[in-house]
This record gives sequence, structure tokens and C-alpha cells, in this order.
Amino acid sequence: MLELKPMLSALWRNKTSAFLIALQLALTLAIVSNAGVIVSERVEKIARPTGMQVEDLISVTFMPIAQEYDMAGAVAADMDLLRGLPGVVDAFPTNQIPVSGSGSASRYFSEPNQEIGGEVANYYQVDPNFINTLGLELVAGRNFTAAEMDVMGPNENYDARVAIITRDFGEALFPGEEPLGKFFFPLGENNPIEIVGVIDRHLGAWVGWQKAGQVVFYPLLIKTNHKRYMIRAEPGQRDAVMKLVEEKLAQRDANRVLQLETLSRDLEQSYMSDNVMVKVLSAVIALLTFIVSLGIVGLTIFWINQRRKQIGIRRALGATRANISRYFLLENGLIAALGIAMGFAIAMLINRMMVTSFSQPAMPAGLLLSCAALLLLASLGAALVPALRAANISPATATRSV
Amino acid sequence: MLGYYISLAMRSLRSMPILSSLMVAAIAVGVGAAMTVLTVNYTMSRNALQHKDDVLFAVQLDSWDPNKAYDSVNELPKELTYQDTQALLRSDIPTRQVAMHRYGFTVSLDDDSVRPFTAEARVTTRDFFALFDVPFLFGGTWEDGADSGPVKQVVLSKATNDKLFNGENSVGRIVNLKGEPFAVVGVIAHWSPSPKVYDLNNNPFAEPEELFIPFGLHRTFEIYSWGNTNGWKNDGLEGYEGHLQSESVWIQYWVEMDSSEQRQRYEDFLTGYIREQKAQGRFERPLKFALSKPSEWLVINEVLGDDVQVLAALSLSFLLVCVVNAVALLLAKFLRKAPEAGVRRALGANRKAIFIQHLVESGVIGVLGGLLGIVLALIGLAGIRYLTLGMVDRIATMDWVMMLSSVGLAIFASLLAGLYPAWRISNTNPSVYLKTQ
Repeated sequence: MLELKPMLSALWRNKTSAFLIALQLALTLAIVSNAGVIVSERVEKIARPTGMQVEDLISVTFMPIAQEYDMAGAVAADMDLLRGLPGVVDAFPTNQIPVSGSGSASRYFSEPNQEIGGEVANYYQVDPNFINTLGLELVAGRNFTAAEMDVMGPNENYDARVAIITRDFGEALFPGEEPLGKFFFPLGENNPIEIVGVIDRHLGAWVGWQKAGQVVFYPLLIKTNHKRYMIRAEPGQRDAVMKLVEEKLAQRDANRVLQLETLSRDLEQSYMSDNVMVKVLSAVIALLTFIVSLGIVGLTIFWINQRRKQIGIRRALGATRANISRYFLLENGLIAALGIAMGFAIAMLINRMMVTSFSQPAMPAGLLLSCAALLLLASLGAALVPALRAANISPATATRSV
Repeated sequence: MLGYYISLAMRSLRSMPILSSLMVAAIAVGVGAAMTVLTVNYTMSRNALQHKDDVLFAVQLDSWDPNKAYDSVNELPKELTYQDTQALLRSDIPTRQVAMHRYGFTVSLDDDSVRPFTAEARVTTRDFFALFDVPFLFGGTWEDGADSGPVKQVVLSKATNDKLFNGENSVGRIVNLKGEPFAVVGVIAHWSPSPKVYDLNNNPFAEPEELFIPFGLHRTFEIYSWGNTNGWKNDGLEGYEGHLQSESVWIQYWVEMDSSEQRQRYEDFLTGYIREQKAQGRFERPLKFALSKPSEWLVINEVLGDDVQVLAALSLSFLLVCVVNAVALLLAKFLRKAPEAGVRRALGANRKAIFIQHLVESGVIGVLGGLLGIVLALIGLAGIRYLTLGMVDRIATMDWVMMLSSVGLAIFASLLAGLYPAWRISNTNPSVYLKTQ
């Protein structure tokens, strides 16, 4: 019923062109599917929850102009001022700004006096307002109390007594156990730190870090020569609040340099390279599919033009329009199938290279299949218009000489 | 003859506008994508210290945790401890040597003519400028004693001098850093190596620091690095002095040595130093150190990340697909034109002439594709600048070398694409076409 035999012999006469199209499709499938692996991995990474109310948060970094400065007094006065401002939900002082790419980490142990093994976590020095300000979810235990707050100089050694940790860090330190009420220890030390609260999620300082999400908080203010605040605005009022905060802080104490930034901007910068990969690779996928489709359109038109006379003869001998269109679509489908089969092999080969040399993820079968389906559709779509046009060739063409 | 072929090619391109523009577009898109990514690759892998690549060396010592090697390409910490730095500085073997790290100050003037601001600073020994070939506009580096004692002198970048003193010769003027008076001893000319090979820690494509201050001020300001500080040991030491004596690594170290004999002596010196420290219970790992040239330092610091390399490979495969596409289209086009070639053959043109004529035609497509490719690459680079939030503007710009390479790549790609079709057409038998005419 199908015109397979004449089709194959016609293809054989045009084997170079047919092979070139199949090769294009194969390479395209290999590139598109490998780019797709990276894109889907990065999209997932960017979509991870931070645990924070990112779009309402503002950070302030300030440095006093003079070397001698009453940092503890300034922080207390600023906090009073900030928490009373209209449009401000809450604020707290901190050593580092979350998800900004700048942060500190340390190694902790579930036993005293250990130096080998253990688990790393980002650490933040905060006050009891940090949960409300960042919009974190306390899933077990309690917040810090005002009485637990310590104030220290930058060079004093700090022996923490209590800490709040993230669920991720609890799971890493005490796998399968409830971390609340347990004690942990800093590197090589025997002073126990009690876990008084557990936070559902906080992504920490570095979004690309393997251990991102392992975080510990201490109720501590260190009088360093520069300090940071996190401020949460009422929904939708962030930009107005940012202006107000800058003005009021400068007014309260002009002898310092202030830098304000939105947390959204910090997060955007942290994910910048992932975002570049997603956008560039998506553009590559789209352009490549487009170029290959154009190539198929061009070649199908060319072939049809070359075979006008034969088409006319077939029409004159009784072939319907549908027969003619189906012939070209089927021919195209055969080439595409060959290309896609070759593409599977090349795609897997490239993916293996990507995994071993460039630490990219392995290819899931579903993704490869859906890329193949997409390409098959694109190639049939590209052949469709020329094939339909071919059906319009009049049988009379057969009787004319070219 | 070439001129005639080119005019033939132009005529042939015009006669089949759709097929021709498809081919030009295929080459242009392929070259545009490849050049966008390759430009980023090219600017990221530049070595600003190429001219001193044989005499400069970054120093690494393995003072790390006996239980676990440092997590870097060569398993050595990328920075040194303060105490090792002080010991190394006492050696007189290198021609020049620099110990340094990033820091920051608030900057203000007594007369309030400039609003106070924070500035990135490099805390460094005085040889920094000579070692890295930093040109001075005014003055020079600070006095010798400033690297060991608290001497408040500062060298300004050109931009900072423009901001503070409207670009005048400010040597001898006073700038307040953290409220303390510093005397300006020099102003450097515009200097902006990219990547910042002397400090690749944070953003390797950031601008250099705005201020340079001597290495003797650590205790005065209780300076902690604004770059990376990494530790592995709980020393249990107290106070700022404890930080200076700790095993934390936070200082970058470079030496300049002009001869291999000098280098040999320095390696002996480092070996001796590590042995001496081992005897005192430090440096518990196997004896290991590294002296890396700037070109090697760029590799150790992985400036060209995996992502960029993946993109480069991908864009070249993209170009390959475009070439295959062009081969198929060219083949179709040339075969369509076969009767014409048959007539030319019958009139006396030999195979070589037909071959060259068609190759020239693909070359013309390459030139057109290349020119369009430059435009597409410029658009692509603008896209990258937009996506990178202005953080890598200096990387995503095209110079004339890359523009010429674009056209070169396009011509190469299209000639490659044209080889087989031109060979096919030059080998067809003219009589076949003459009969049907």
C-alpha cells in the first residue's frame, strides 16, 4: 500500500542530500538534548525555595567614617529607628547578607573535641527579630530571647550556648533524628551548643554551594567596623521604604557611608551565571531547530521542483493529491527517523563526555525522547507546506516538456 | 579571472534569492553564535601578564590540614598565613616580591568637598607596582619602612584621584581613611588587567582596587581580609594577634625572579623553610609548594569555568550543523545549475575552472554570512551583557581581531561547505545537460 520501494530507490538516487539532512537532524538532536539537560537542571536550581520573603527584603551595609565608633550603641539606636518606620515590618543586624554570595562557614561536630569529619554550615550572627524579618518558618522549638543576646568585640573568642539551625543542617549533623534539644560542637572544642529551634529552610550564603541550606544562627552582635542590617518592608512598599530608610539612617548619624540593596538583586546576581546558561542554551535550542527546519524547507522545495514532471505523471496515472503529499511527508519522515536514530547515539556519547569532563548531569531518557519528538514534529512541519504545494502540480505538466 | 568568478557568483546568488539567503543566514547564525561565545572565551582567557610570564611566580605552600588536602586544582592553599608571609618577606633571593590582600576603607577629605565613600583597597608591600608593571602618573610607591611599621601613606588609582582631586597632582595631599590622615605618595595611571590575574579570588573580572596602602598597618587598623580567609585549625589563640599567628590563609604572594639559578636558590630556600617549620610542629602534610607562572595561575584558579567551556563546545557544534546545512543547500543549488555548468564545460571550461568557480561562489556566501555574523555576534554579546547585569561588560566586547576572525571563520566554514558540492558539479558529464536543452 505504501510506496516504500520506489521511495527508497528515489532516496538512494539522492543519497547525499538525504544523508546530509539526516546528519543535521542527528547533530541537532545531540546538541538540543544535551543543552536541554543543562537547562532543566539550572531551572530547577533557580526555582529552589530560599525560605525567605526575598521580594520584600532590603539590606543595608554601613561603615563609620571614623575608626573609633560606638557600634553597639549605633545598632541599638538604628534598630529602634528602623522598627518604628512606617512600611517596615521588622529589621535585625547581621554579619552577612543571605544569598548574596558573601558569607562565612564553619565546621561542626556532634561530639566534643573532634577535628576530622563533621558537617559544614553557614553561620549568621543575628538577634531575635531575624525570623520575623526574613519570613522564616520555625518548625520546632523556640526563638532566641533578648536575655540570650551577647555583644562582643571583633577579636574576642565567642563560646556560643544556644543556636537555631535549619532542618537541612540538623539532618546532616544528626541523620534521621530530631535535632531539637541536642548539642553540637565547634571544631576542636568541648563547649556544647544547644539547638533551641529549627528553621524549615534558609538557603544560606552561596546558592551554588553543595551544602547550601546548612545554616546555623547565633544570638550575637559583633562590634566589627562595618555592620549590616536586613529590613523587611510591607508587601509592595519595598522601594519606597528603601528610600526612607536611607534618608532616616543618614539623618540619625551622618558620619558613616551607607550602601542599600534589595535582596532580589543579590539573588539575581547569585544566579547570574545559571541564568546566562538557561537563556543562552534556550536560544541555541530555538535557533538550531529553526535553522534545521529552514534547511528542510529549502531542500524539500528543491526536490519537488526537480520532480515536477514525475509528480505530474503520477497524477496523470491516477494518484490523488493526498497520495502526493503523503509521499513527500513519508519520505521526510524516513530521513528524520534515520537522523534521530543516529542522534540518539551521538547524544549519549556527548552526554557521557559532559558528565566526566564538565561535571554536568546525566541525560534522563524522557528528556531525550521528548527532544526527539520535538525534532520529528519540526521536521514534518517544515516538510508540510512544500508537500501540500506539490499536490497542486497539475497532471498536465506531464504532457509538457520542460 | 577571480573577478569574473565573483561577478558570476553574485549573479547566481541573485537568481535564486530564497535559497541564497537561506545559506547566508545559516552561515551567519552559526558564525554569530560561535563568535559570541568564543569572544567571551577569548577575553576570559587573556593573560595580562603575558610579557612577564617567565619571571613572575605565585607562591603556594602546603600548610594545610594534615587530615585533608586543600580543595584546589593542585591541592595547595591559594593563599599564605600571615606568619609565613613575614618569614618569606625576609628572603632577599627574589628580585621583587609582593604580599597582599583586599581590604576596604571609608574615604573622606578634611574640607568636605567630596561626599565620603567606601573604597576597595589593596594592602600590599611596596614592590606591587614594579612587579606587576603598574605605571605611575604622579609620584611613586611608599618608603621602604612602610611595609613593616605603621606608616600612613597611600597610592591612589587614577579614578580615585579624579574623584578626590580633579585629576591634579595630589602627591603630598592628605586623604582620610577611616578618619585617619594618610599622605598621598603616588597616583597610578589607568590600569585594568582583565582577568585580574594578580588576584583571582572573588570576581576575576572586577576593576582593580581604588587605593593601595602599605603592608605595615595590620595591627593599627586590625585589618581582616576582604578577600578569602580560609582556616582548618582551631588555634585557640586570643585577640587580633591570635588572628595574625593563626593557621588561617588569607595573603596572596608573588615573586619576580629573572634566572633559573635564582629560581633554584628560592626553591631551596622554601624547602629549607618548610623543613624548619616541620621541626617546630607546623606543616604536617608532605613537603609541597608551588611556584606558578601567571598563565598557570589562571588555570589553577579555573578562570575559564566549566560553563564557558561547555558553551564554547556547544557553539562550535552549532556552527558544524550550520555547515552541514549549507552543504545540503549548496549541493541542491549547484545541481540545479548543472545545465549552466554543462554549457560552460562544452564551451571549453575544464573541470578545475568549474570547481573553482563554484568554490568562489561559496566563498562569496561566506563573506556575506561573516559580515552578517558580526552583526549577530554583536547582538549576542549585548544579550550577554544584559544577562550578566553589567558585571562582565569588559569580557563581552569584540575587538577587531575577533571581527576579522568572524569573517575568516565564515569564509572557512563556507569553503568547507562548498568543497563537496563544487567537486560534484565539476564532475558531471556535460553531454547529459546539453541533450535536454
